[in-house]
Amino acid sequence: MNTNLKISNVTKIYPGCVANDDVSLEFNSGKIYALLGENGAGKSTLVKILSGVVIPDEGKIYLNKNILKLNSPSDAKKNDIGMVFQHFNLFETLSVFENLIIDTDEQRENLKEKIDTIMKKYNFSVDLDVPVLNLSAGQKQKVEIIRCLIRSPKVLIMDEPTSVLTEQETSELFLSLKKFSEEGILIIYITHKLKEVMQLCDEVAVMRRGKLVSVSQINNENIESLANKMVGQDLKTIKKKKENTSSEQLIKITNLNFTSEDPFETNLVDINFSLNRGECLGIAGISGNGQSELFQVLSGEIISNKNSIEFNKNFIGDLNPQERREYLMAFSPEDRLEQAAIPQMAIFENVALNNFKSSNFFNNGLINESKIKEHSKKIISEFNVNTDNIDLKSQFLSGGNLQKLIIGRELITSPDLLICFNPTWGLDVGAINYIHETLIKINEQNKSIILISTDTDELLKLSDKISVIHRGKLSKIMNAEDVTSEKLGILMGGGN
Amino acid sequence: MIKIVKRDQPSKAIFFFTPVLAIFLTLIAGGIIFYILGFKPFEALKFFFIVPIADKYGFSELLLKATPLCLIAIGLSFCFKSNNWNIGAEGQLTFGAIVSGGVALLFYDQEGFYILPIVILAGAIGGMIYASIPAILKTYFNTNEILVSLMLVYVSKLILDYLVVGPWSNPEGFNFPETRQFSDSARLPLLFEGLRIHAGIFLALAAVVISWFVFYKTYLGFQMKVSGFSLKTAKYAGYKGKKMIILVFLISGACAGLAGVGEITGPIGQLHREVSPDYGFTAIIVAFLGRLHPVGIIFASLVVAITYLGAETAQIFMQIPKYTGQVFQGMILFFLLASDYLLFFKFKFIGTKK
Repeated sequence: MNTNLKISNVTKIYPGCVANDDVSLEFNSGKIYALLGENGAGKSTLVKILSGVVIPDEGKIYLNKNILKLNSPSDAKKNDIGMVFQHFNLFETLSVFENLIIDTDEQRENLKEKIDTIMKKYNFSVDLDVPVLNLSAGQKQKVEIIRCLIRSPKVLIMDEPTSVLTEQETSELFLSLKKFSEEGILIIYITHKLKEVMQLCDEVAVMRRGKLVSVSQINNENIESLANKMVGQDLKTIKKKKENTSSEQLIKITNLNFTSEDPFETNLVDINFSLNRGECLGIAGISGNGQSELFQVLSGEIISNKNSIEFNKNFIGDLNPQERREYLMAFSPEDRLEQAAIPQMAIFENVALNNFKSSNFFNNGLINESKIKEHSKKIISEFNVNTDNIDLKSQFLSGGNLQKLIIGRELITSPDLLICFNPTWGLDVGAINYIHETLIKINEQNKSIILISTDTDELLKLSDKISVIHRGKLSKIMNAEDVTSEKLGILMGGGN
Repeated sequence: MIKIVKRDQPSKAIFFFTPVLAIFLTLIAGGIIFYILGFKPFEALKFFFIVPIADKYGFSELLLKATPLCLIAIGLSFCFKSNNWNIGAEGQLTFGAIVSGGVALLFYDQEGFYILPIVILAGAIGGMIYASIPAILKTYFNTNEILVSLMLVYVSKLILDYLVVGPWSNPEGFNFPETRQFSDSARLPLLFEGLRIHAGIFLALAAVVISWFVFYKTYLGFQMKVSGFSLKTAKYAGYKGKKMIILVFLISGACAGLAGVGEITGPIGQLHREVSPDYGFTAIIVAFLGRLHPVGIIFASLVVAITYLGAETAQIFMQIPKYTGQVFQGMILFFLLASDYLLFFKFKFIGTKK
């Protein structure tokens, strides 16, 4: 049985932005299709249209030559379109089976049988009786997939499915997807990771700024050609210059522990490492393994034992972030909109969040607005933030520009150490490149970086040394040249 | 067809328009209630909102009621802006009144220019002491400030009750539950002969100006703004969260305490059981109706003060229970919260598509 899904002249306009501009695409079962594009390219909107979440302004969708009316997600389900979102839609406290039975009309026994067949067929092993919160990200995803398979879908759409998976889980997922495809399920795979497209897919459609740029066979493409199509300009490949880094120690962490009262936080166990000037230490790991806690302990949001952190020959474990900044540390947290910046405040007000005594932003308790504005203008021009209005609320900056502003705010005071957590999370390739170049540049100026990231490619590109955090424990520190992404994957999953 | 769409950004105009809309809706709903009760809606609303302030005396009464509301609401806006939910201004007012009343009683048979400043200061300190309890419990023991500050309201009222019945009751007062009258030197001066409006209004106006300055011109104001938007960001910026929590509670307590001083040294002139008709609670409505903005709070306090006066007039002329005033206050808050929906959503009128 062949499935043919056709998108014809779909347009969706949001205020101030054309999300999909006259997009036409055709998919046939038996192949795996990649939908590739930067953030904001319009692929999410297209997927939402296919799953009935968003209704297009114009255009039609055909399934096997019949017009599809998708006015709600349940319409998509009825028409055998299954969807696995990037963020799981599961009830954490319910068991796997309860999660699966919740939106079907099937009898308990029938469903159980069905699930068993599916699991056997595709070699899934998930315990149906445990609560979902005990599952790993990969297993949760399997539950989502099983949920789709129960309805024996004709089309399965996967939205950036690997962002939370380890390398091993990713290759398992790819095997399953290939099997589904052989079974005749049409698979549409949304991503911005070029490597995965090359590994998995047969055909690739590239989107940019709401428009469909190209549709091509994967055999005719390589990573560079796809990247150029995606970004729309030739990318300079940046490589880190290997220079003999100094041997002067900048920061040393000794026996650092953190025990949280919050059951949803991860405890840090006996963290030890040291870092020299001009080096970048990458910390890899799957999200939720203590990265956030480690960042907070390093930034001073969580205060620890005074002697556990030695920075520039000072013991600073008991200082708060503002006090640590005086010792020339800088921090770029993961959450741009809820922590690193306040979207409702103007750009210059956000700049004032990084406040040094010597910056004179506040004299005798009064706001020195002209000083802050002057400083903000400097950041905007030096770090290519694409605006000239520092009174603009920062919510109107794109993710990339906001991150440039944040990094700029942290770096303009030329700190000795920058600690950043997923600095390019959710950014488009252009902005990612800019941030990476900036980070390499500060390394070259003999300043150090601690880069906590869930993006292995980024870590391998930027780090001199790499360690992996798993369940709050840090692996031994390795030289970046000796590390491969496979090895990282094993460590991230808790192996040796 | 009407469709509800999320706004891309909260509109500034709507931000100041919704309080007006809320008042308007309250009037309509109030009219309907009066109609159901068997009154002519327009006449009843006139008795409620226009008759009470139609003359000089009425206007003075309006300012008299608005003064404590404004003062307390200004104090509360410090707390609310920084995400601290001080619900116990009524208790801080009462305790401020107790302390300043106690000091005023010490001087009951003395005259002197120095007495009033001491009494005022005592009231502010009393309010601060009382507000520091929930603040310290919150910062050091992680208690919920809403519960603690609220429960302390009833504690302070019982303390007052005990004092006016027991140790502080007027020896020549035939066991009425009230203290001696304060000496004239401990009373806030009246502004006009024959009217009750007193110098306390200047305290409120000073609070308005000072709070505006603090909110928009100082580092403290900036920190409060940041904490109000995101505590995570405040932590990341390294602001001393605990100190700030205690500080805003102290400011808020001082304002409520001063409102208490205004009541007992202004119109009342002694301590008795009921120093405040729930000004401390009503001021929460005032603070939000005024959008936590100093100027907004002035207007909001005037509007809400009318409901106090209107309730009294309505009771006298129409035999409606004076608790109608509270009904109106409740409705204002209700409609304000409801119309805040418009801050984030808008109605879109679209023609039916074929």
